[in-house]
Amino acid sequence: MSLHISTDVGGTFTDLVLYDYDPKTLRGELRELKVDTTPPNFERGVLDAIARCGADLSQVALLAHGTTVVINALTERRGARTALVTTRGFRDVLEIGRGNRPDLFNLNFTKPVPFVERYLRAEVTERMTHLGKLQTPVVMSELDEIAENFRKEGVEAIAVCCLHAYRNPENEKTIADTLRRLLPGVPVVASHEISREWREYERSNTTVVSAFVSPVVRKYVGALRAALDQQEFSGNLYLMQSNGGMTSSEGAIANPVSMVESGPASGMIAAQALGQLIGEANLIALDVGGTTAKCTLIHNGHLSVTTEYHIERTAKHPGYPIQTAVIELVEIGQGGGSIASVDAGGRLQVGPQSAGASPGPVAYGRGGTRPTTTDANLLLGRIDAAHFLGGQVTPDLKSVRESFARLGEPLGLGEIEAAQGVLRLANANMVNALKLVSTNKGYDPRDFTLMAFGGGGALHALELAEELHIPRVIIPTHAAVFSAWGMLLTDIRRDYTMTDLRALAPGVEAALRCTYAAMEEQARNDFASQAMNQAELRFAHYADLRYLGQEHTVKVPVDLSALDSGQGISTIIDRFHADHETRYTYRLPDAGVEVVNFHLVASVHIVKPKPQLRQAGVGRIEDAYLGTRGVFFEHDGSLDVAIYDNNKLEPGMNVIGPAIIQDASSSVVLPPRHKLSVDSYGNLIIDLQSAPPPEVA
Amino acid sequence: MNPVHSKSAQAAHGYDPVTLQVIKDSLTAIGQEMFQVMIRTSMSPIIYETTDFAVGLTDAHGELVAQGNGVAGFLATLDTAVQSTLQHHPADTLKSGDVIITNTPYEGGGTHLSDVVIIVPILVGNELVGFSVNKSHWTEIGGKDAGSVTTTATEIFQEGLHLRFVKLYEEGRLNRSLVDVIAANVRMPDQTIGDMHAGVAAARTGERRVQQLFERYGMETVSFAMADLMDYGERLTRAQLRALPVGTYEAEDVIEEDGAGNGPFKLKVKVTLRDGNMLADFTGTDPQAHGPINSSRTALGTAVRCALKAITDPDLPANGGCFRPIEIICPDGTLVSAQSPAPVSIYYESLVAVIELVWKALAPAMLERLPAGHYRSVGGTFLAGTHPDSRQFFVLGEPLLGGWGATHQRDGLNGMFCCANGETYNIPVELAESRYGVQIEQYAFHQEAGGAGQYRGGRGVVLDYRVTSDEAFLTVTYSRTSTHPWGLNGGGEGSSNRAEIHRQGGALEVRTMATGVPVQQGDLIRIFTGHGGGYGDPRARGRDAIQRDLRDGYITPEQAREDYGFAQ
Repeated sequence: MSLHISTDVGGTFTDLVLYDYDPKTLRGELRELKVDTTPPNFERGVLDAIARCGADLSQVALLAHGTTVVINALTERRGARTALVTTRGFRDVLEIGRGNRPDLFNLNFTKPVPFVERYLRAEVTERMTHLGKLQTPVVMSELDEIAENFRKEGVEAIAVCCLHAYRNPENEKTIADTLRRLLPGVPVVASHEISREWREYERSNTTVVSAFVSPVVRKYVGALRAALDQQEFSGNLYLMQSNGGMTSSEGAIANPVSMVESGPASGMIAAQALGQLIGEANLIALDVGGTTAKCTLIHNGHLSVTTEYHIERTAKHPGYPIQTAVIELVEIGQGGGSIASVDAGGRLQVGPQSAGASPGPVAYGRGGTRPTTTDANLLLGRIDAAHFLGGQVTPDLKSVRESFARLGEPLGLGEIEAAQGVLRLANANMVNALKLVSTNKGYDPRDFTLMAFGGGGALHALELAEELHIPRVIIPTHAAVFSAWGMLLTDIRRDYTMTDLRALAPGVEAALRCTYAAMEEQARNDFASQAMNQAELRFAHYADLRYLGQEHTVKVPVDLSALDSGQGISTIIDRFHADHETRYTYRLPDAGVEVVNFHLVASVHIVKPKPQLRQAGVGRIEDAYLGTRGVFFEHDGSLDVAIYDNNKLEPGMNVIGPAIIQDASSSVVLPPRHKLSVDSYGNLIIDLQSAPPPEVA
Repeated sequence: MNPVHSKSAQAAHGYDPVTLQVIKDSLTAIGQEMFQVMIRTSMSPIIYETTDFAVGLTDAHGELVAQGNGVAGFLATLDTAVQSTLQHHPADTLKSGDVIITNTPYEGGGTHLSDVVIIVPILVGNELVGFSVNKSHWTEIGGKDAGSVTTTATEIFQEGLHLRFVKLYEEGRLNRSLVDVIAANVRMPDQTIGDMHAGVAAARTGERRVQQLFERYGMETVSFAMADLMDYGERLTRAQLRALPVGTYEAEDVIEEDGAGNGPFKLKVKVTLRDGNMLADFTGTDPQAHGPINSSRTALGTAVRCALKAITDPDLPANGGCFRPIEIICPDGTLVSAQSPAPVSIYYESLVAVIELVWKALAPAMLERLPAGHYRSVGGTFLAGTHPDSRQFFVLGEPLLGGWGATHQRDGLNGMFCCANGETYNIPVELAESRYGVQIEQYAFHQEAGGAGQYRGGRGVVLDYRVTSDEAFLTVTYSRTSTHPWGLNGGGEGSSNRAEIHRQGGALEVRTMATGVPVQQGDLIRIFTGHGGGYGDPRARGRDAIQRDLRDGYITPEQAREDYGFAQ
């Protein structure tokens, strides 16, 4: 037997999934559990979880690990004392930023404070042209003074970002190598090691935050490795990245910002993998957690990856750009812990403020007084009060009622009406987020299946699907530890994106091949030096294309083997016209097409255990029946409905709504009319009747 | 009794408050979707990068229900455009499928000819329930100079094609003759007609979504929700205005030049806050100018609305209700209430000036919300020529960043776009050098004098373009060029805006308002934008802050000594 384990460290819980499988058939047993997250020594929670599930670490072949260490260090500004070295004349690029002010009418606006203060932003005489030609070599004598100054100032990490280094990194490399020699022990990150894309502010900021978190990540990974070594772990440790793939611990240390959004990414990867397994290629994936809801769109089995990513960006704040590959998703402040409130003008709102794990919803009885979406679901019968939090907590229903009475009072609403209102607004907010990834990008939700997971996904999914006319909803088995489960389904992966402007027309085949070949060479070197098996390296090629004169690009797959046939370029261009029209509503058949970025996905396949089939034909649906209770449905009002135990549902069984299907960690709210069936893996598949939701008022 | 089985509450007005809230949130979401459609379908960088546009919904009378803005300067342009539409096309003549197009500067929300408004009446059955509207900056609308920007026009007729509330579609049928007229009058017809279709697509999206809301929730409920949303805006705004100090606040300022060599021109305002109302009287402002610095009344509406938003809760929605407390007085024919056929091409400099004028009047009484004066110019900079590598014709056009004023609690912001901008992005150096015939030699904060204070004015920017084209042509449209950003409570004045041309031979020219100045390969165009004004007596600035400024190079040792009396 072989053991694969994944651990996902979240803000509140550390989730673990263990597969104990036969390497021949890949079939085996799956176990899952949750333990408390243990800041600041997160590795302790991981080891706790492994110990609790009874695994012998020396027998574990693969340990996949997702961590929030990078995003935490960034948002808490707990990183190294960082300096920046850049081209003469441009040290203020990091502070000027892009100049945008999304909070349009606030004249007392504050702009993002750069991660490096001005006196630690040094300039060097050097210059590359926009074509990558050396115009001015590095004036080496300037580096001695800079190094001396950084030493004096106690600099702990250095970012180097020169103009046009995405095109020709020679000067940047010279500067970085020299500083490494002059300041041994101080990590130096050069922009071309992290990003080969243009836009100097975005690349500078990316390099700076990489340097900023670099010592933190080094320490974290070191502690985890040491703890594992102590227990004689000899398998492979992989860390989850934001691009939906994993990397070695060496890879994580070399490119730490690649882990910035690892948690959300693995949930979406799990949705994609499950979709592939059960034949659902077009999915809207929705992850409803305690604080936020995240969603993404999977089209023809493909998840989009973007390097236009920001941290701390809101409707009012520009945030900080990071040019690292991140699965494209929309995140809104709408989860189980979202707090409901009424403002001075009588406006009821839900979120984005969250009660978090502490004090948590009112029902937890830990001092929370303001009602949350979880409280509303509880009071409205959608969550079973008798088995709240898996039966570990007796909910404080009296306080919950009182909190809704207080909320409703200024609106003339009773406690139940107020709770219904909170539920309806939470649903409306999530509907708007789902529209952002679908209708707003040119996709019709009626062509997609909604896959909902996370602690709250199943509570809301059916009503959201009704609103958006989505014909089918899937509630996956393992929905509560879906992100951790997803990590066991990912490959080792690194994304390389390189800006290299060139016209796309017949005749450039050799040039394309040459650029990709150079990127592949880079990938081979990285995988070799970062202890990843490069013998089995596989490549997928993409290009970010645009019409000449335009700015926005569309990512299109490039089939290198087809390039030889002579049809290759026109196939790429045809695909671009079609995808551009989907995304931007028009095509320009006569305009020239240009490559902006070359994108290479380098991956190594990891053996993945196969999900188990659930046994069928033993039990009866009556065995799963738990009784009835009153439940409020957004579009159908309050009904007495049957309650079923999810653990006793078997493949082939059907339930017609209205009903609730519950287990220790989730509750599926199934409105009237719709038909739920259980597939051979235990996933719940709900086909919606086409009747539109009735009027509310 | 089972707790979930109770009847839905009805508030005093008979409507369920949660349903009303869901409808109101949906209206806001429709605004966002229209905004995205515009970005998605536009073919012009000025729309999808600079977001120089706004989208909105009004009720049947043209009162603003919801708005999505890319730039603050369009705040008073949508509802007013609908109100003027109703004067040209009475409600009972509007049919489903009609689309009206206008760019006239002198009526309803007009700015300059480049900004084109698309208006779609929304009918449910035969009843007019509202309008879906947007306004966007088209890259080309014809006129005497490329890009339809000029500092030298003397009449509107030189500035481009003028459309006054004409029907682009009638009951769903496109008016092809009109499209032919537009295409024949502009330099880049594909892009212009593309922008037109983007505007129609965004407006139609709004129309369809609003109709769906009416179908879903019914005529009475949605109409009530729209009215209630605006009443809510009014209620909150008036309550907040009442909490501000009652009084009359005055300010004067100047715009230095009009493009035709005349000036300076005086701007004057008297703002009265009383009983939850805001009255702004611009009487005393100079008459309209010969050159295109003029602006229509729209600038006044925008200025007062922006100031109102800035001194009340910025989280409040921007809807017609919020603006009911506003009253504006200004005689016809002033620099900011110009009448036909006054040229208006660079109206945006007057717009920025008048927004800041109202801010300047109120600032001393509202230090919590309003900083000292900023560099006060869009900083419109245009360079046209042939790229030395690609041999393609290029037009570089960008607004400039500058210093903002200090507040009573902190230093001003370094390098931000002006108050009339918003979700506006600068052009990265690495992109600019690939696209345009320039090499950029520095993009940095400068150390010119100005902005001293207990809290220091934000730093202006110096930007160097080395011309790499054989020849290129420079257009600049700056104000705040000889006057300086104002300080507050003893804070020093900031510095001013200018472009220098350092010729190959060593000659230096300074330009602030000019069209098509020839520059040659090797010439250096060096642009300075102003520092913002300071706050408070510089002598009260802490030693730590001065030392930090010296360490960071935001000020020179001489400035530390002379402005702050600082001795090492």
